[in-house]
Amino acid sequence: MEHVLELEGVTKRFGPVTAVDRLSFQVPRGSVYGFLGPNGSGKTTTLRMVMSIFYPDEGRLRVLGRERALEVKDRIGYLPEERGLYKKMKTADLLAYFGRLKGMDGRLAKSRARELLARFGLQEWADKPCEALSKGMGQKVQLLAVLIHEPELMILDEPFSGLDPVNMESMRGAILQMKREGRTVLFSTHVMAQAEEICDYILLIDKGRKLLNGTLSEVKSSGPKGIRLDYDGDGSILRELPGVTRINDAGKSAEIFLEEEADPQEILARLVGRIVIRRFDLREPSLHEIFIRAVGAGEGRAAG
Amino acid sequence: MKRVFLVARREFLEHLRTKTFWIGIFSFPVILTLAVLVPAWLEGKVSVRDYAVLDHSHWLAAAVEEKASIPDLAKVFSGLKEAFRKGGKALEIYPPFLRSKALGKALEKMDEGMVEKLGEVLTLLGRPEGARLLDRAGLPPGIVALVEKVRAEIGKWWRSLPPEEAKKVAPGSGKSRYRRIPLAELGDPDEAGLRKLVDQGKLFAAIVIGPDPVHTSKGCKYYSKNLADLDLKQWFERFATEAVREKRIQALNLSPEKAAWLAAPLRIETLKVTEGGGEEKASLSSRLHQFAPVAFVYILWISVFMIAQMLLTSTIEEKSNRVIEVLLSSVSPVQLMAGKIIGPALTGLTMILAWAFFAFAGLQVLPLLVEHAPDLGLGAILSDPAYLASFLVYFLLGYLLYASLLVGLGSVCNSLKEAQNLMQPLMLVLIVPLLSMIPVVKDPNGALARVLSFIPPFTPFVMMNRVAGPPAPWEYAATTVLLVITLAFTVWAAAKVFRVGILMTGKPPRLREILRWVREDHS
Repeated sequence: MEHVLELEGVTKRFGPVTAVDRLSFQVPRGSVYGFLGPNGSGKTTTLRMVMSIFYPDEGRLRVLGRERALEVKDRIGYLPEERGLYKKMKTADLLAYFGRLKGMDGRLAKSRARELLARFGLQEWADKPCEALSKGMGQKVQLLAVLIHEPELMILDEPFSGLDPVNMESMRGAILQMKREGRTVLFSTHVMAQAEEICDYILLIDKGRKLLNGTLSEVKSSGPKGIRLDYDGDGSILRELPGVTRINDAGKSAEIFLEEEADPQEILARLVGRIVIRRFDLREPSLHEIFIRAVGAGEGRAAG
Repeated sequence: MKRVFLVARREFLEHLRTKTFWIGIFSFPVILTLAVLVPAWLEGKVSVRDYAVLDHSHWLAAAVEEKASIPDLAKVFSGLKEAFRKGGKALEIYPPFLRSKALGKALEKMDEGMVEKLGEVLTLLGRPEGARLLDRAGLPPGIVALVEKVRAEIGKWWRSLPPEEAKKVAPGSGKSRYRRIPLAELGDPDEAGLRKLVDQGKLFAAIVIGPDPVHTSKGCKYYSKNLADLDLKQWFERFATEAVREKRIQALNLSPEKAAWLAAPLRIETLKVTEGGGEEKASLSSRLHQFAPVAFVYILWISVFMIAQMLLTSTIEEKSNRVIEVLLSSVSPVQLMAGKIIGPALTGLTMILAWAFFAFAGLQVLPLLVEHAPDLGLGAILSDPAYLASFLVYFLLGYLLYASLLVGLGSVCNSLKEAQNLMQPLMLVLIVPLLSMIPVVKDPNGALARVLSFIPPFTPFVMMNRVAGPPAPWEYAATTVLLVITLAFTVWAAAKVFRVGILMTGKPPRLREILRWVREDHS
């Protein structure tokens, strides 16, 4: 399989702190790749190294077959975690400017800017300054600025942070659309639910080290099965169940992990009559659970 | 290179949209126009000051009037000479007897010094001994006859001329500024009565002359409510002193010739040594040429800082807007910095060229707006390559130096306020070329000027300041080389600081850290 991005033993230190520690992974072409990790785990630093904004102290890095992203910058779209717009610039001009910076022809960039704005329902704002946009519209424009030049590889740093449900949905739609067009998307997040829904591959890091890596199903099957429970009523009963190792209780739904010899049927029997059960099934753990387990194990203490 | 151009282009277009830019462009011609028109307008507006003289000596007030008319009439004649040269409308403000062609021809042949003497001649002609003095004046014989012809009329005309008219034919003359009100018109008041009139504001001042001013100043007084403006007193005193001195000399039984000789002041002609050791009569225009660098330095200083400030603001804005990282995915930090520096430079050049255009256009239009506009030789200054060309060169070099410092500084700050704090030490350095502006222009090749021009941060301003000197070619070469070396270093260091600082958030780094970034290789 062709890889658009390969990292091999990449290390980056800032003074005494090792931000990224011997990290290796490959991103296959055409995939949606989720780069997961808690805050401060080195995700942004890694992505900045991929973009040649920082340079690794050790290790090797190949982007679209080149040693430095600088040489292939025009084929990459990068949405940083900290992102903004020129307040005084007109929306269409701003998009065209970013397109031209990526080497697009001036006229093409202009027409494409208007086309994109129209497709995302912002055509009325094309000639208004960016400061007139609402926060949600601004976020859309930020994304458009990154895909105006139709990049082969999209690198999105925390694309979902700060989005409302509507914008979150359109961001997800945009990512899936890019996948359909054969582009590769690498994005970082610390919100597991989104990753679970759209990722083909998962990379989980903490403190700059790789914890888990593989296809979504590989990663999920690496964890123990658990009971997924949707319920109404007083959830305190859940804590009294025998043979339970861990519970992620969200109030209306819960994930229950059992000791190896424990019987799920017995649990069900105990719950009947105490709470209203709307769903009860045994399945692979959520990414959330895997994340917490992996990070907890990495910290050498029980998580939860 | 294309990316650098794109960044620069965006900066430039963005600046065109700001108010600062247009205010900058248009404030210059507005200030220039005001600087020329306001004094001319004020000149016309200065109120005429009324005064009265209670003359116990019964001769001094009349003598002062006579003495004062000497320089005033000289002004009339030099104005008249100019009017004959221009012809047409300019002559219309003069009475018919002064408009004869013969007088015009005679004046044309006389130099400025001779025209000045005409006032004296006219006054002397009225005296019994005047005819004899005329021989010494060295005037062409024709003019004496002409002057003799108009003497009676000119005296009558001048005495009855109201100050408003005098302002036109002899701007700045005593007659146009001060009007003596005869005591008879005031009802022959005594000293107390005059004081009351001054108090009531009917008179600006009252002057009392003692009974024997030749012998003593006793009893001579000047009453006014406004003691801040003593111009009238000094003006009166000057001519009164002259008149009294004449009487004192007469009391020594000296001949009038000897008396005049004794009273004549020594006049030293002011000449400027021109290139090649020639001489040139010191005129307003050559003095202006000497002081023009001050204006150039001032404009240079303002434009360098205005533009560098724009750069600082846009850098910090980009940083606080979080646009920077998106940009860095398309251009390298060095390209970004280069574009950001070049953009405002284009803005600055546009502004300066617009100013130069306004100045040239102004020179063409100004004579049409203001009558009697003196030829100040501004055109010569503007077309002198030493001024305009070195202005452009020093603008670019100075701007690049300070721009690279400010872009580095801007890259480590998160807000304009932080930047202003960090800029304070820089501002202290920058005051120096402003403070040294006048000393340097007075002595363009002196020790101070020379030392300062070898300190790179001051070089652009001080070398511009010295342009009237002018500095020796080797000084131009040496200071420029030094400046360019410094420039190369600051740009290199700024690029290093910029690539680290631009992505930094949180509190600005200490100077030690910044120096570490410069030393370390961050690749």
